[in-house]
Amino acid sequence: MIEITRLVKSFGSLNVLKGMEMRVEKGEIFSILGKSGSGKSVTLKCIVGLVVPDAGDIVVDSVRVDADDRKSLAAVRKKIGYLFQGGALYDSMTILDNLIFNLSRHRKMQRSEAADRSRHYLSLVGLKESLNKLPSELSGGMKKRAALARALVIEPEILLCDEPTTGLDPITSREISELIGSLHQQFHVTAIVVTHDILCAGILSDRAGVLDDGMLKYTGSIKELAAIQDEEVAGYFKSPLQ
Amino acid sequence: MKKFFASLYDLTSFSFRFFKEGAVPPYEIGEFAGHLENFGSRSLPLVSAIGLLMGLILALQTKPTFERFGAESFLPAMVAISVVRELGPVITALIVAGRVSGGIGAEIASMKVTEQIDALEVSSVDPYRYLVVPRVLAGIFALPLLTAYADLLSIIGAFIVMYVTGDMGWQLFTTSTLHSLSIADVVPGIAKTFVFGFIIAIVGSYFGFRAKGGTEGVGKAATSAVVFASFLVIVTDLVLVKIGILIFE
Ligand SMILES: Nc1ncnc2c1ncn2[C@@H]1O[C@H](COP(=O)(O)OP(=O)(O)O)[C@@H](O)[C@H]1O
Ligand SMILES: [Mg+2]
Repeated sequence: MIEITRLVKSFGSLNVLKGMEMRVEKGEIFSILGKSGSGKSVTLKCIVGLVVPDAGDIVVDSVRVDADDRKSLAAVRKKIGYLFQGGALYDSMTILDNLIFNLSRHRKMQRSEAADRSRHYLSLVGLKESLNKLPSELSGGMKKRAALARALVIEPEILLCDEPTTGLDPITSREISELIGSLHQQFHVTAIVVTHDILCAGILSDRAGVLDDGMLKYTGSIKELAAIQDEEVAGYFKSPLQ
Repeated sequence: MKKFFASLYDLTSFSFRFFKEGAVPPYEIGEFAGHLENFGSRSLPLVSAIGLLMGLILALQTKPTFERFGAESFLPAMVAISVVRELGPVITALIVAGRVSGGIGAEIASMKVTEQIDALEVSSVDPYRYLVVPRVLAGIFALPLLTAYADLLSIIGAFIVMYVTGDMGWQLFTTSTLHSLSIADVVPGIAKTFVFGFIIAIVGSYFGFRAKGGTEGVGKAATSAVVFASFLVIVTDLVLVKIGILIFE
């Protein structure tokens, strides 16, 4: 379970989070919708201690995230697979080595065992043919898949996905969403998915919330959100063809 | 100006971290070897060319003056001493600063702006230990080797001048070179290259880590690294020359 209470974060005079509250139950997929620049990535980064909040509490499975407490931070990070917005694949390593590196650093594991498991996860996301390619040789969709495999290879209890489908064509983005969904069914991870792709949120999530003006507004199921009249929320549900 | 001193302060604490983090395992041996090779392959061609040219120019330029005083036989000594004490270390360091400091800055900066450094951190890898420590160690190892090599080429350059003009044979040249060099020339000359190697790698890493924004930030990091590393090499040299004089004379 992930619980965020009264989270505050500013960069200089820019107040990004203004007392945000969020609660994600174990095994649930929760989507955070929100305009670009609303603080979605900052929220995810606070959860893994990459960004240190000015105030507020984050508790992950009853461990408080505290950047000063190296031990508890490491314990929290061990549970979390993080899919970065741009993939953040290590560009000096092949795709396979990206996974092996992540796995062998996260879990004390023999290289051969790590390599086997990495291959397995890469074939799971449909990249069996591209093991030995460098990230620069992959298309945008393939990069996202590889990054997803890298997040999953440590078999995390919690998955944080930062805009898994942004910048992809509609077909690939649906595939990625369905992939995350099916992996969730297999592994029962708790997941937070940041997106402004309502289709992705709809395919994936049990519940969603809209991040606006530093707070999470309108939390509820996608159906409940769709019924809300507020322009801010209704905007996500407008079909481009209407 | 205030920003400059703030950077200097930041850079100093960034540098001190090396001594703290460098001492603790895990040691990234594989990374170290890769970066050592990088130092060599990036700067070897230029260091070779400039090393040789330095000797040629020094000999050609000072030869007429020496001749005027009938002191040609001192020329090898003069070249050897000035190259080993001062020119070799400083010029090699400036070349490597230009080639490698900027390279390190750009490499780390691009990892920073594409969140690869965040990704390392989330995987429980300390980015400083993984990225900075091996590069700095490589710099500390590479600079003395590169400098010794440049020194040697310069002396060969000077010999070529003496040989072509028919003033001196190999035998006489080498004995007079070797006799002229004392411990007080060689030790400070090589000792400071360790410091230069440290500066070049740490400054590159520092600007890489500070990078912000997109590709623009990467370019900025590379340029700042070259400028700052070159500047620090010269300033440090001034200080070290002074210290060398105090110790050895
Ligand atoms: N490290 C940082 N330093 C300064 N400003 C930042 C930093 N990280 C994020 N911001 C700012 O915070 C705001 C929210 O960013 P972010 O969470 O990345 O937005 P998004 O919701 O699109 O993911 C943006 O205006 C961004 O410029
Ligand atoms: Mg974002």
